[in-house]
Parts: sequence; C-alpha cells; structure tokens
Amino acid sequence: MTGAGIATVARQEFRLRIRAGRWKVLLGVFFAILLAFTALLRAGLGQLASDELPYKGTILYGGLMLFVLGLALLVVPALAAQSVNGDRERGTLATLQVTRLTAADITLGKFAAAWGTALVFLAMTFPLVAYAMTQGGVPLGRVIVVTVVLALLLGTVCAVSLWLSSVLSRTTTSGVLAYLAVFALTIGTLITFGLVTAVTTETYTASVGGVDCFPACDPGPRQTYTATRARTDRTWVLLAPNPFVVLADAAPQLPDERRDADDRSQIRARDLDPLGQIGGVVRGLRDTRLGEGRLQTDADSEPDAVWPTGLAINVALGTAALWLTTRRLRTPSRNLPKGQRVA
Amino acid sequence: MLTSGPEPAAGPPPSGVGVVAKGVRRTFGPVEAVRGIDLTAAPGEVTALVGPNGAGKTTLLLVLATLLVPDAGEVRVAGFDPVREPDEVRARMGWSPDVFGLYDNLTGREYLEFVGEAYRLGRARARTRAGELLELARLPEFADRPVHTMSRGQKQRLGLARALVHEPQVLLLDEPASGLDPRSRVELRELLRHLAGTGTAVVVSSHLLGDLEELADRVVFVDRGATVGEHRLDQLPAGAQLRPWRIRALDNAALLVALDRHAYNHDGPHAGGVDVRLASDEAAAALLAGLIGDGVPVISCQPLGGALEAAYLQLTEQGR
Repeated sequence: MTGAGIATVARQEFRLRIRAGRWKVLLGVFFAILLAFTALLRAGLGQLASDELPYKGTILYGGLMLFVLGLALLVVPALAAQSVNGDRERGTLATLQVTRLTAADITLGKFAAAWGTALVFLAMTFPLVAYAMTQGGVPLGRVIVVTVVLALLLGTVCAVSLWLSSVLSRTTTSGVLAYLAVFALTIGTLITFGLVTAVTTETYTASVGGVDCFPACDPGPRQTYTATRARTDRTWVLLAPNPFVVLADAAPQLPDERRDADDRSQIRARDLDPLGQIGGVVRGLRDTRLGEGRLQTDADSEPDAVWPTGLAINVALGTAALWLTTRRLRTPSRNLPKGQRVA
Repeated sequence: MLTSGPEPAAGPPPSGVGVVAKGVRRTFGPVEAVRGIDLTAAPGEVTALVGPNGAGKTTLLLVLATLLVPDAGEVRVAGFDPVREPDEVRARMGWSPDVFGLYDNLTGREYLEFVGEAYRLGRARARTRAGELLELARLPEFADRPVHTMSRGQKQRLGLARALVHEPQVLLLDEPASGLDPRSRVELRELLRHLAGTGTAVVVSSHLLGDLEELADRVVFVDRGATVGEHRLDQLPAGAQLRPWRIRALDNAALLVALDRHAYNHDGPHAGGVDVRLASDEAAAALLAGLIGDGVPVISCQPLGGALEAAYLQLTEQGR
C-alpha cells in the first residue's frame, strides 16, 4: 500500500464520477432541499414567538443537522455500493489488479473518492450553518465537533457500501443491501432496542414503609410490592450505533446559562436544543444507576455519554468493512464467489 | 494422453525469463477448467495457445497473470512465482484479456497515463509513455478524444497498448485479434513480431489459426484442460493424418466418376467443388495426376486450411 497508489485510484475515481455528469444537478437538488428546510424552519420559528424566543439558531442548527444526516444517509450508500462490482461488470477491475496497485490501494482509493464525494454533500450545509450561527446559540466548537462526527458517520456508510459491492456480484443487489444496511443502522437499532428492552424487562420486589420519622411517628408496617422495570442500562448499547443518537449526543452541551441576567423568559439555550434533548434521553437510558432501583437520575451528577460507544462501533464497522474489501480484492484469488468472473 | 510429435527444438527457456508452467490445475467448484496444462514460452518468441472454447486457455492465462491461484502446478513468469511474488511478476508482465472494459469518459492519453501511474512509472514517464503508445497503436488522433468514440478495433488496440505501458518482458494476450479488421490483424501481427524481436516472450491465445500460422514460432495445443501437443510451427505433426483438399473441375460429373473409380471418399459436390481427405502432399499430387490422366478438366486442387488448422483439427478430434 502506498500513498501514491491510493491517490492514483482516488483521482481516477473522482475524474470518472465528475465526467459521468449528473453531479451538479444532484448537488443542486441536495442544496435546494436543505435550503427549503432551513427557510421553512426559520419562518416557523419566527411565527411562534418573535423576540420572546432567544437562541433561534440553536433550534435551527440542531434541526438542520438531524435533517442533513437523514438526507445524506439517502444519498451516500449510492456513492460506493456499485464501486467494485460495477468495475467487475465493466471489465475494468482485473486490468487494475494486474498493475502494481495493491488491493489496499484500490480499496482505499475507491473509499477516498466515495467519502470525498460524501463530504462535498456535507459541505453544502456550510452556508446554512453559517446562517444559523448568526441567529445565536450556536458555538463554533459545537459546529466543528458535529461536522467531524457527521463526516465519520458518512464514512462508515461509504465503507460498508464499498464492502457490499466487493462481495456481491450484482450491482443491484449491493445497492439494495447498502440501503438496507442504513435502514438497519437507523430504524433497525431503534426496533431492536425496543424489542430487546421489552423482553428483558424484569419484575422486582421492593418494600416501603418503616421509615424513620421525626420527631416521632408510627412507622407502620413495611409493605412490599412488585413492579417492573426496563433494564435500559443494559440494552442502551443496541441504540448507541444509531447515527442520529451518535450525532445528537456528540454535540457538546450548550452552556447552562441565561442569555443575560434580566432575561425574563428564563430560557436556556440547552432547553431548546434538539440535539441535546436526544442526547439527554439516551444518556438517561444508559444510566447504570437504574439498575440499583432508581428511576430518575440524580440532578447533581451527569449521566455517562452514549456517543463514544456509538461512534466507536461505527468506526470499527467501517474499518472492518475496508479490511474485508481489501481481502476480497487481493489477487491472485484462491476462491471465487459463485457466479463471479475474474476478468 | 496422447503423445505429441517431434519435441520442440528449443527446450525450456533459461530460468528467469519467459514463461514456464508445468502441470497447472485449477477447478471452479465441480468444473475442472484446467487439469494439467504445460506451457513454455521463451523470450524472443511468439507462443500460440490454441484449443477449442472451454479448453482452459483463459484460465491458464489468468493464472499466469497473477489473478488466479492454481490448485497445483509449477508456474514461473519472468522468473517469479505469480502466487508468492505477484508484484515482481506484475512489474514484468503485461496482460490483456479477451473481454475488457475501458473508461468511456477518459481520453486515450488520460487512460494510458492512468495505467502508467498504476504501474508506478511516475507522472512524467507515464506521460511520455502514453504518447509513444498512442503512436504505436496508431491512435494519435484519439489522444484527446474520449474512448467511447473509438471503434471496436481501436479499443482493442488501446487495450493492447495498456498491456505494454510498462514495457513488459512477458506479454500475455487472450484473443487479441478478435474484433479486428484484416488490416488491423496484419498490424497486430507485425507489432507482436516486433516485440518478440526485442526479446519479449509473447503468449497469444487465438482461434484465428491463419493469423497464428504467420505469427507464432511455437504452438501449444490444449484440449479439455490439458496440453495435447507442443510444437515448433515448422515441425507440426504431419503425415499420418488425413487433411481435406478441395478440387474444382469444369465437369463435376466426370470428377465424381473419376474419384469413385479411384475409390476416394469424397464430400460434395457443392458450390466450392468436391472435398477429399488426403494423407499428404504426395497423395494430393498422385490424385491430381490420376484425375488429369482420366481427362477430368481440373481447375484447382488446394488444401483446406493451413497446416496449423489441420494439426488443430487432428489433435482436438482425438478422444472425441
């Protein structure tokens, strides 16, 4: 594997993508949808509460990021899902494999081109993000972190799609499966989490009464009762790799402060933050103190973050996909999948 | 297994150069694509790989081209093992498959430059090499025009140029002449002879036996996954086998009567004349003398197909 080899493949893939056309249109449509979303959301916020609502940017930015993630997840699988088997179908893969490019050069070059294209789509949001920042409540640090996390999440989808294109001989199959993989990551994690949580919900016995009271009272008899509790402190991992969860929870929490001392609305930016709200929910699910019988987290200690686990799962998934793709592209090959030609 | 005729005059090439393959086997699931092919190709020579469809030619070339691991057998390409040292082989070997794709939206020059970079020639070298190859492949007018405007034959030539980008010592071509018009085939022949003249070991698989007859120094016959004969072209097995000759006469009836009288099995008459299977040139001369002696107005008497075709038909027919 060499940097020059990766660059050779990546440049070539980029050039072919650009020549194949359609990209300007696709990027244009993508931006138009984001613009429409932002404009409508901004108009809606203006309607709801004119100056009484500070930090409009917080809502605008959070909404936009969740929306762009959803939209990108619809586009990105297509960027790599036919990369390897498409080359095989066109008869251009084997002639690449007999050159001095290594399997890793080809894999990483193709990945770089797909991911780079995904990042171009992501860059379409920058003007709108800049606008949201002017509306208040969007610190630059938050924008940087969220952008990096978004980029990594899209990279995972690219890598998984690329791997599918290397193991499946038909481009239509790999295309469909790439979208199913995204479905599994988004809706699938949600459903699995819900079902497994329901199955693992346990019944426990607790007792009340017999409390100490002051100055003196009849403590009464201790009463025991049974109740059920969901052990989401154990099942939260199933939800963690969900890209929306990772994105929302990774966004740095907004400062716990009012805009100014005499702000009568008493609204904190973090109360309006869609990302922070989602993050709060999943952190609450993770909180291991649930297992000790407490249903509500203590106010004084913040629950653990979910996103490091989720992002790690995503990055591991992407890395594994790239490794497996490289293995599949390695020649001379010993085993050929059914129905796959070498050249 | 049948034995071939005279052994090749040139023994195996000196180690370290050319191609040596011994006892190559490869199965795809239940299908035994190659079950014992031997092939040697010396530098400076064109070696033809000839056999019917499904004989294992393409599979063997894939093994030589570092794309497929053989189940068994000893293989050396340019002195290196394609399985254990694929990069060494790739640096010295050019391969062009029977069916290949080009990138439609690239120009001829961009394509060859890309391949040059893939062979680690460096940008500048790749650029000069692309220019040279466009000339060599007679495609200079396509230097700046996209590949999709090329004809099939032009694409075939570009594919050949691709295999030559890194000036390989060993050139493996799978059906290089398919889709080429007669003029391009002649030029391909000249190009390959030229490359062999500069010391390249050229291996060509083809069905176009007429072309090979003028191109190849040696021929390796394969049938059903195994080598059935390996000969120098000037030492093709001849003699014992019957070979078709076509006789034309002004009077077909008289010709047939005469043939029957001499007890020749014949095929025809049809538009081209009457076909007779004969064992040798001498037999043909004798037949012709007999027919003329009988007063048959013979116009022509010629062998059908070349010596290569005759050998091919004979070798691939046995065991059928």
